[in-house]
Amino acid sequence: MTGPRTLIHALSICGLCLAGTFALAAAPTSPATPPQTIAAAEKEGKIIVYSTTDSAAAAPLLKDFGALYPKIAVEYNDMNSTEIYNRFVSEAAAGSGSADLLWSSAMDLQIKLANDGYTMEYQSPEAARLPAWAVWKSEAFGTTFEPIAFVYNKRLLKPEEIPHSHAEFVKLLKANPERFKGKVTSYDPERSGIGFLLITQDARMDPNYTDTAKTYGKVQVKLYTSTGAMMERIQSGEHLIGFNMIGSYAIAKQRKDPQLGISYPKDYMLVMSRIAVIPKAAKHANAAKVFLDYLLSSRGQEIIANKAALFSIRPDVQGETTMAALEKTMGSSLKPIPVSPSLLVYLDQSKRLEFLKQWQEALGTK
Amino acid sequence: MRKDVAWYGVKPMRKGVPWYRVGVVVVTSTAVLTPLAIILYQSFLDAPFFQPSAKLSLYAFRFVLADSDFHRAFATTAALALGMTVLAVPLGSALAFLLVRTDLPGRRWLEPVVLIPIFLSPVVLAFGYVVSAGPVGFFTLWTKQLFGAAPWNLYSLASLILIAGLTHIPYVFLYTSSALRALGADLEEAASIAGAGAARIAFNISLPMVRPAILYSAVLVFFLGFEIFGLALILGDPGGLLVLSTYLFKLTNRLGVPSYQLMAAVAIVIIAVAFPLVYLQRRLLGASGRFVTVKGKGLSQRPLSLGRWRWVSFAAVLLWLGATVLLPLSGVFLRAFVSSWGEGVRLAEVLTLDNFRDLLDYPNLVRGIVNTFGLAVIGGALAVGCYALLGLALHGWQSGWSRLADYLVMIPRGMPGLVAGLAFLWVFLFVKPLAPLRSTLFSIWLAYSVVWLAYGMRLISSALLQVSPELEEAGLVIGASRGRVTRDVTVPLIRFGLLGSWLLIFMIFVREYSTGVYLLGPGTEVIGSLIVSLWATGAIDIVAALSVVNVLLVAAGLAIALRLGVRLHG
Repeated sequence: MTGPRTLIHALSICGLCLAGTFALAAAPTSPATPPQTIAAAEKEGKIIVYSTTDSAAAAPLLKDFGALYPKIAVEYNDMNSTEIYNRFVSEAAAGSGSADLLWSSAMDLQIKLANDGYTMEYQSPEAARLPAWAVWKSEAFGTTFEPIAFVYNKRLLKPEEIPHSHAEFVKLLKANPERFKGKVTSYDPERSGIGFLLITQDARMDPNYTDTAKTYGKVQVKLYTSTGAMMERIQSGEHLIGFNMIGSYAIAKQRKDPQLGISYPKDYMLVMSRIAVIPKAAKHANAAKVFLDYLLSSRGQEIIANKAALFSIRPDVQGETTMAALEKTMGSSLKPIPVSPSLLVYLDQSKRLEFLKQWQEALGTK
Repeated sequence: MRKDVAWYGVKPMRKGVPWYRVGVVVVTSTAVLTPLAIILYQSFLDAPFFQPSAKLSLYAFRFVLADSDFHRAFATTAALALGMTVLAVPLGSALAFLLVRTDLPGRRWLEPVVLIPIFLSPVVLAFGYVVSAGPVGFFTLWTKQLFGAAPWNLYSLASLILIAGLTHIPYVFLYTSSALRALGADLEEAASIAGAGAARIAFNISLPMVRPAILYSAVLVFFLGFEIFGLALILGDPGGLLVLSTYLFKLTNRLGVPSYQLMAAVAIVIIAVAFPLVYLQRRLLGASGRFVTVKGKGLSQRPLSLGRWRWVSFAAVLLWLGATVLLPLSGVFLRAFVSSWGEGVRLAEVLTLDNFRDLLDYPNLVRGIVNTFGLAVIGGALAVGCYALLGLALHGWQSGWSRLADYLVMIPRGMPGLVAGLAFLWVFLFVKPLAPLRSTLFSIWLAYSVVWLAYGMRLISSALLQVSPELEEAGLVIGASRGRVTRDVTVPLIRFGLLGSWLLIFMIFVREYSTGVYLLGPGTEVIGSLIVSLWATGAIDIVAALSVVNVLLVAAGLAIALRLGVRLHG
């Protein structure tokens, strides 16, 4: 199945005119799943999904999937990322039924599953449309393109204070340590997998990382386990601003409360991607393939982008909340976290604990 | 009919092995010890027990005991448990005395009302406090406007102890008041006639006579302190305050992958703290015969006059209710009907019903509401049935088995619900005959029933303790079989205790949150665990709406129960 991929390479080399056609081909197309897989999937009649994307955000996606494949019932379970990993690994060991598709924002844990041999290889006909960094070994597939941003309270943060880069943010905190004391919030890397992932990426990207972390410590940064909990406290004014916030959640929240502000850092902006994997032991493997193809298809991505606000990862999907749009405005400052085994580094215990120790020392909490 | 009464004698138990009793103890042991065994085994491995690479090792204990976070968490938990016991036990006992024995105004309607904090999930309460009394809570902002400052920090250890202490008063109240109700009033009346005031009677007669109930509740509150999770999860968050259970929760992510061995080691430490307490409790109780107070005669009680303290006491009770019920609940209700809140927000502009409309977008939430109610009503009744079976099996039975059972019953209470739930998930995964039941409410029911075993049993044995053996012995002497005596004498005497237990278990099952977290799945959704799960993902709007539904569900359940004449106390 290397055909479509080489074709894409050829096309991208071919030139702007063809790329232009891609952009114009806005009408979303249904997934290119082979008919025999669809037939087998309809025979299975069902797919069990464990996901970190909450039901409300996933609802339009599931509804459309149901319209496209009425014979495949989706049993959709949203849980937090640790629950998904725990549950799946236990169920796999017990040899009892588990999910047919895992769709999680814990990128490192998803890669670990693939690396530990739990997942199935699948040459998705849609995968060729994804950026190369978003697919690993045809087992782990990035499905979204979610910017990691600053989120702030518009009522309480002055317009001139809004940071547009990590450097500006540090400068702001250093200039007003009293004003921001206890008013800055972020993920707790000790308690949140995604928070850990993001801060280790910061450590890689930020040339003054140690100084940055010390600055966070000076303003007594308040650490939580979810973007939702942090946004709640930013909205209420308990905190003023949060860093390393998942932008897609913030946009969804902003639609309800316009007082919430979002700022994309221009020096570098991390981008995370929800990874989908199909377990080897999936009971409804064909249905899982159909679902995966759907997630990656332009039809699925259209909904991911414009209805669920999770940002499409396909270059040919247009709209405000897409990779294409972000690339236009942010250009090379976008730093997607690659779907690759490099994420496994800090699942090594001693390395992880060492990193956390340094983080706490910089923060001055140890 | 039978002529050989004398030969059967008063102690027919000596005739042979009482199979029914032994059977009940064996079944209970299996239910309690299987998850415990898994946790114990897991704590001595260096990886999750189901991984082929797992080896026996002391690594988990070494890691935990060397971790400075663990030391901090342990010290905080000890301070918290002690602090809340010191607060809750005297206040709870005083409340029980006031409501049961005195002419406190409005004690009829206060009786169900003072139990409300038990119904409320601590996660809901804590969340409510953040909205009302947090740094930008409405109560805090009002206080600032009125007095210029609000001199408290909701996220400090002192606040946590205060809130935990105040919200645990009803547990002490329940135990003490049911014992007080069963207490003959003759001694108090004698004292009253001799001129003693209400306070003197309380401290010198009534409360000393219900010492077993008070001691049990004290130990129970102390246990609950060791297990506190929801309050600390939310209130300890911004201040970095760790207790053992939140430390345990933190371990889920500390190493990136779930470190079950570390969690199990912490659970074993908690259980190791619990065991000496059970022993202490038994020693303190001594011979229970000293406290037999229901004699075979009718009770007639006249409320003691509080005199001028009547309205002062009433105001104190209202103040407490205001702080533990009104304050947090107003926060929860407010949050459920707005899209945002806090400093500079005009509430009139943000009022909305969207949060409730959103509930309907989640089929699992709707299922969760239905499941919770069914589990609490039917499952609660079944659980009380099981507790009663065990209570009766142990009743009046002095043997190694019954002593074993006494300890057994306390074990699950010492297990944090989070860990117990995880252990039950493993039981349902790896014990093949049980595997098909994993995705049914049965798994949740079993886990709940075992986790709350100590709780239900104490209530039932408190009731049984008050039944004088003479009444049963009289039945045995006239030739009834042991089973007949149980059916016709013991059970009717404790029927109010059973009804009370059912109502209590109902509330507990509605509110329980930590045990179901790991068992949560399609078919096993319950409101409490959904709230924790949604809180973890940050869906605060939904959490607020679901909390309100939870509170209303309990209120409706309680209203129906009261309407049908089910009263907590006989």
